[in-house]
Amino acid sequence: MALGRAQASALGYSSLPIAVVPHPFGSVDRNAVRAMAEQCVKQIAALACATPGVTTEQMSGASASGTTGARAALLEIAHEPDLVTAFNRVCRERRWSDGLPVVAPTRERVEQMFSGTRRTPQETVAKLAPAFGAATVEGIAINAVLAGCDSAYLPVLIAAVEAVAAPQFNLQSIQSTTNPAAVWIIVNGPIARRLGINGQCNCLGEGAWANATIGRALRLILRNIGGALPGDMDRATQGQPGKYTFCCAENEEENPWEALHVERGYSRERSTVTVVGAEGTMNMCTLARKADDLIRVIAGTMRHPPSNEYVHGSEPWIVLAPEHAEILHAAGLTKAEVKRRLWEESKMRAGVMAAEDLGRTQASRTDELGTIRPDTLLTISKRADDIGIIVAGGKGTHSVYIPCFGNTRSATREVVCDQQ
Amino acid sequence: MAEVTPVLVPTAPSGQKSEQPKRTLDTLQGRVVGFIDNAKPNFDYLVDDLAELLVTEYGVSKVIKRRKRAASIPAPEAMIEELAQSCDLVITGSGD
Repeated sequence: MALGRAQASALGYSSLPIAVVPHPFGSVDRNAVRAMAEQCVKQIAALACATPGVTTEQMSGASASGTTGARAALLEIAHEPDLVTAFNRVCRERRWSDGLPVVAPTRERVEQMFSGTRRTPQETVAKLAPAFGAATVEGIAINAVLAGCDSAYLPVLIAAVEAVAAPQFNLQSIQSTTNPAAVWIIVNGPIARRLGINGQCNCLGEGAWANATIGRALRLILRNIGGALPGDMDRATQGQPGKYTFCCAENEEENPWEALHVERGYSRERSTVTVVGAEGTMNMCTLARKADDLIRVIAGTMRHPPSNEYVHGSEPWIVLAPEHAEILHAAGLTKAEVKRRLWEESKMRAGVMAAEDLGRTQASRTDELGTIRPDTLLTISKRADDIGIIVAGGKGTHSVYIPCFGNTRSATREVVCDQQ
Repeated sequence: MAEVTPVLVPTAPSGQKSEQPKRTLDTLQGRVVGFIDNAKPNFDYLVDDLAELLVTEYGVSKVIKRRKRAASIPAPEAMIEELAQSCDLVITGSGD
């Protein structure tokens, strides 16, 4: 009921009639479903014909992207015993934090954050699902302060917010799914070096201030403005550590091919943010020296039965270690050819899936693939070019497979700031 | 008295449009009921059972069933428009 009510309110239908079916539902047998239906139909009949209520509640802050949003409210915090302790106590009570201590967004700190952009504080950058809260420049700045960001990071965050709001990203589903999907931010271009966004050793780990706080700020924005709170509209069964922060740069210096943003049509001198709905990371430690072997073992890692990629034909990602990228490049392979080889060699027989997952696949991909039988070879994505590849990391023979949510496509937006 | 510092609230109001008024039916007798199957496990069976019960026990005259291609994508606009035009009541599901 809480989830349905929250969703209905977010869409302006707070009085939407909601009938409740007990959980678990999806795993029960046919007879149990029938018993639930017999109870549920009584709720439906009662709700459909109930005396209508009159509501005059108006949702504030409802403005389209690019228009002016509401000013942020102020909350007075008594220093009991001190500001840091008192504010973090409030954050725990009001669920404004990701579970870690945050920085109090005083007027002075938020004003300082605006020095990173020329955009006006009240400009709405995007509406963020599932609550469709308006992410104003001010709101983004406030959450950037919470996360511990430098003011120079604000343009990167603004671009990230624009990107997650792109329709193809499907933020509504990523925010509210039982899947562990987290938003992975990839930064390209000169701004990565200028801000110290790590794309080398330990780039997906801890230690780099920019990586940690930019990813964290986006998660706080998605919670506080987007409304995805765990257990409420965020229904992730386990979630994943990447929901604290998940941000890196591409290691463009050691990338033997074109950088991701160049591949996507931006000049090398521009800076971009790409957001990916990532399920998690799987290490691929291989000493393979031959390109054919490397491609074969990577494709073998991608191929796994309980995979949304195969169910929907979506957009899996590979983070190639510089050493692995060089092996492939030295063998004469372009990035596009690597994608094509991976696409061919990662085909998976549909029969290895559980019957219920094969059913989902048939529902999702019959239009694309025709009749799908257990002996059908499923492609991991609709096209080879849908496989995402970046080069990142330091020394070592470890690449990373990053499967994705399924019904999502990455989105890239330019970072606009005074300096490039 | 403790020192006080004002901080800016990090949340934003929910919602993207003004509140819609609730509408109800006087009766289900003779009505047309639509279903958008959310493609979650067992929801198709629930739709079948509810449809049968609404017809046999509540006098619903007709049921229109439509199913999303997958749970994690929105229902197509054409599907929504069809059911909005054809039905007195539309039922769908959220969550597992």
